[in-house]
Amino acid sequence: MPHYSVDDPIYALATPFAPSALAVIRGSGDNVIQLFEPLFTGKLGKAPTNTAVHGYICDQDGRKIDEAIVIKYSKGHGYTSEEAFEIMCHGSLPVIRKISIALERQGIREAERGEFTYRAFMHGRMDLTEAEAVEEIVRSKSDSASSDALQRLSGSIKAEADAIRSTLIDILASLEVQLDYGEDEIPEDWVFPEDEVGHIIARLEAIAATYESSRLYSSGASVVLAGKTNAGKSSLYNAILKENRSIVSAHEGTTRDYIETECMIGDIPVRLFDTAGLRDTEESVEKEGIERTRKLMESADLVVYVLDGNESIPPISGDNLIMVRSKRDITGECGDLSFSSVTGEGVEEVLKAISSRLSADDVPTDVPRIDSERQRSCLLEAAAALRDARAAVSSGEDIVAMYIQLALSALSSLTGAVTTDDILDRLFSSFCLGK
Amino acid sequence: MSDYDAIVIGGGHAGIEASLALSRQGFETLLVTQSPDTIGRMSCNPSIGGLAKGNLVREIDALGGEMGKLIDASMIQMRILNRRRGPAVQAPRAQADKFTYSRLAKETLESTPHLHIFMDTVVDILSEDGHASGVRTERGWTITSRAVVLTTGTFMDGRIFIGEYDAPAGRLGEGAAIGLGDSLRSKGFHTGRMKTGTPARVKKSSLDFGEMEVQAGDDPMEAFSFMNDAVDRPSIPCWVTYTNDETHRIIRDNIGRSPLYGGKIVGRGPRYCPSIEDKVVRFPERERHQIFVEPEGIGTEEMYLNGLSSSLPEDVQRAFIHSIPGLRHAEVIRPAYAVEYDYLDPLDLYPTLESKLMKGLFIAGQTNGTSGYEEAAAQGLMAGINASQMLKGEKPLILSRSEAYIGVLIDDLVTKGTKEPYRMFTSRAEHRLILRHDSADRRLTPIASELGLAGNARKERLQVKEHEIAEICSILRSKRVGGKSAYEKLREPETTIEGLGIAELSLFPLSVLTTAELDIKYAGYLERETREVERTKRNENMAIPSDFDYDSVDGISSESKEKFKAVRPLSIGQAMRISGVRVSDIAVLSVAVRSRERG
Repeated sequence: MPHYSVDDPIYALATPFAPSALAVIRGSGDNVIQLFEPLFTGKLGKAPTNTAVHGYICDQDGRKIDEAIVIKYSKGHGYTSEEAFEIMCHGSLPVIRKISIALERQGIREAERGEFTYRAFMHGRMDLTEAEAVEEIVRSKSDSASSDALQRLSGSIKAEADAIRSTLIDILASLEVQLDYGEDEIPEDWVFPEDEVGHIIARLEAIAATYESSRLYSSGASVVLAGKTNAGKSSLYNAILKENRSIVSAHEGTTRDYIETECMIGDIPVRLFDTAGLRDTEESVEKEGIERTRKLMESADLVVYVLDGNESIPPISGDNLIMVRSKRDITGECGDLSFSSVTGEGVEEVLKAISSRLSADDVPTDVPRIDSERQRSCLLEAAAALRDARAAVSSGEDIVAMYIQLALSALSSLTGAVTTDDILDRLFSSFCLGK
Repeated sequence: MSDYDAIVIGGGHAGIEASLALSRQGFETLLVTQSPDTIGRMSCNPSIGGLAKGNLVREIDALGGEMGKLIDASMIQMRILNRRRGPAVQAPRAQADKFTYSRLAKETLESTPHLHIFMDTVVDILSEDGHASGVRTERGWTITSRAVVLTTGTFMDGRIFIGEYDAPAGRLGEGAAIGLGDSLRSKGFHTGRMKTGTPARVKKSSLDFGEMEVQAGDDPMEAFSFMNDAVDRPSIPCWVTYTNDETHRIIRDNIGRSPLYGGKIVGRGPRYCPSIEDKVVRFPERERHQIFVEPEGIGTEEMYLNGLSSSLPEDVQRAFIHSIPGLRHAEVIRPAYAVEYDYLDPLDLYPTLESKLMKGLFIAGQTNGTSGYEEAAAQGLMAGINASQMLKGEKPLILSRSEAYIGVLIDDLVTKGTKEPYRMFTSRAEHRLILRHDSADRRLTPIASELGLAGNARKERLQVKEHEIAEICSILRSKRVGGKSAYEKLREPETTIEGLGIAELSLFPLSVLTTAELDIKYAGYLERETREVERTKRNENMAIPSDFDYDSVDGISSESKEKFKAVRPLSIGQAMRISGVRVSDIAVLSVAVRSRERG
């Protein structure tokens, strides 16, 4: 059962998970500095408490993720009063995700909601009133209840996780029966189910890889807004960003090159490009801009072609294309996907269309996809435990059983906890036991 | 002034340990039993120990209990089970001479100072201001005491069934304790019915041993008690035979005559120890079932047909017994029967085994919905220890799940309750690598010493053992085998301590060598489990007062609140194990408990 605890190393993003100038990731727990150190080029170990150290955050293979400032807190100093650190890095979603993955790999788990506050309270930080602590936890309860991991799981992953859980319970029950009854009652030797376990390991790793390999989630998708000059691309761009980042002008050809920004569409991090208008021109600077736009469109995950109110057929075609009609306030609704940057009408539908096209493209054929680091690390932990189980066959069945239990408990956040009663129930229903 | 410090009701395996634990602490203790002749009787199988159960016996012994010594002095065969399935799940099991066991138990009680035995049947438990104050008996006695330990086994409104026959009885031929169940119910105790059964006993000279396989015990016989180095007793074989198509046909043809299938028995029976008719019905694809033929003692002709427990009518029993090789001419001395009895819901107990409904009343054994001599004795011992802690005005002893199988047993009972007779299994324990049977003394004797339960001799033996283990380790570190120290070499799965061939080691007792070997071999895994235990310790140590007002805490869901109020957990760790309680409710509870503490 996952639960609040104290002292074991945890991390959490303290700033919102959205593109911004700066993000803060906090870590807390026993030896958390020592666990984090291999990921950081700065000399954190020797630094005194409450000091900031500059350096680069790298992944386990030494690849630089980001330049960052890290503040170190020795036990008794930070917010939770545990050994702790705060990473201040760039607020880019891929950066945040990569750092999260690296932290998980170091054995620092993602905190439950409200867990930092809980720890601060449990360690007697008196600046925090009891009422606040209780309130925060109660509030986090209603949040997490609605986003309960079990309910959040989509159909395919839930079905697969349940199937794996059930197979593992069968294997464990067939093993436990040997440990609960003597060799005179159950004389048959237990044989490690090589094929079944091998298959499960492969599936666990394949599912875990959907997270890692997905460009959508690791580096974001690229979405290019294209269209004729003055078709309303920049208006859409701005409507999406809800801020005036791009230059909006009624004159054709203002956006001569492209402008790029990171944003969230649905739950997908997106690099959004506002491009130069497509038209024939002799002007060399603008011509170059249009050429770049074409290249960008070729490599994009999705091209959103903005049709001017009067335009009927786009001049380009391709698989990664959706059409959007602009200036709905002038031309009226016309059956196509349309929006108005003046009234805001239809912008939400456009966003939905973009995100559903992106996620539809990303689903691998027969492997259910996961959507969080936590799930990924649980799956990999389970796979590792099963490998350990296989390696422990010569050490004794009690050790093998221990590893299979570990695998089941690693999967519990996806499948729900497996209790000893679950195992005994399976055991009694499958085996004829008892003298 | 009370007549006694404590009264123990029942002289079974729980009552023996409870009354000894109390009287050995100097408390004047009265054991009330329906029959002094049946003290320590083994109502069912003639054996003690087994997987997980053997660990319980060794834990009882390490805490100064009696069961280990009794079986050491009465065993007629001994085996270490599951030697090749891993050290964490090995356990000793012994066949007992039932009559010797029972006689020794009675003699031990009789010769213990401050312990008094009285023959009568308790019909009511008395209380004053919600505190147990004595008992009333069938013959009209009112006896007062400051503590009461209730261990009624299968006798409380017990009823036995053999086919169409049924009669009030706790064991065949011994009357049930009538009235106590009703008077407890009227006081608000929650009772239920459970069922168990026992097979027929047949005459040894009527069996054809040529048609059965022999099953011999280990040589030498190892002792259960840490106070004994070895056991020097005769080793008598058991025999193995199998049921067949004919046996199953007879059972199927007569299944309608079973009181269980006919609906006469309502109590829930154990899934792990089904009757032969259950096995035949539930597993029709099985061609045969194994039957163990076990001696009930040395001098007796009675043989126990392990695996053939049944409540079918006697003529059917005879017919199916006679269909089995080796038993074709078996003369039945006692028939198989089922027994149904009242148990008290263990959720009404604190982890001290004290009742939540009546202070000073401790309840142990089959009364709490368990099965097995070892489970009963373990609870009896803990009930006795905690009754005497209460009488002394000292802190109770609650063993954790990582300290002992006894801790797992009691925590399961009082936190989750039980729907079938509860038997201990290794798979109930989360930390079974730590709970090895050979380490019970190292785990528990220091605790027993602190409470005054372990004598000097026991303490000294533990010191010697610890010293010897340290010496063995230093010898292993100093020797080199195949390019590494013998200590390192021993960590390899295929290496045994014996196989190292180090002459100096032959001076140490085998049992100590084994303990050292397993500690070294499994050091990595033990460390891992120990870390896991450490992680949960804070929750285990965070105490919740038994009168904690759950209604005063905002933010706990109403389902969880009801569960907390029913179980009244004594620690956050225990609260977390209540099934279906939400994580966030635990967090709110722990914050609330902490803030109450600070006032």
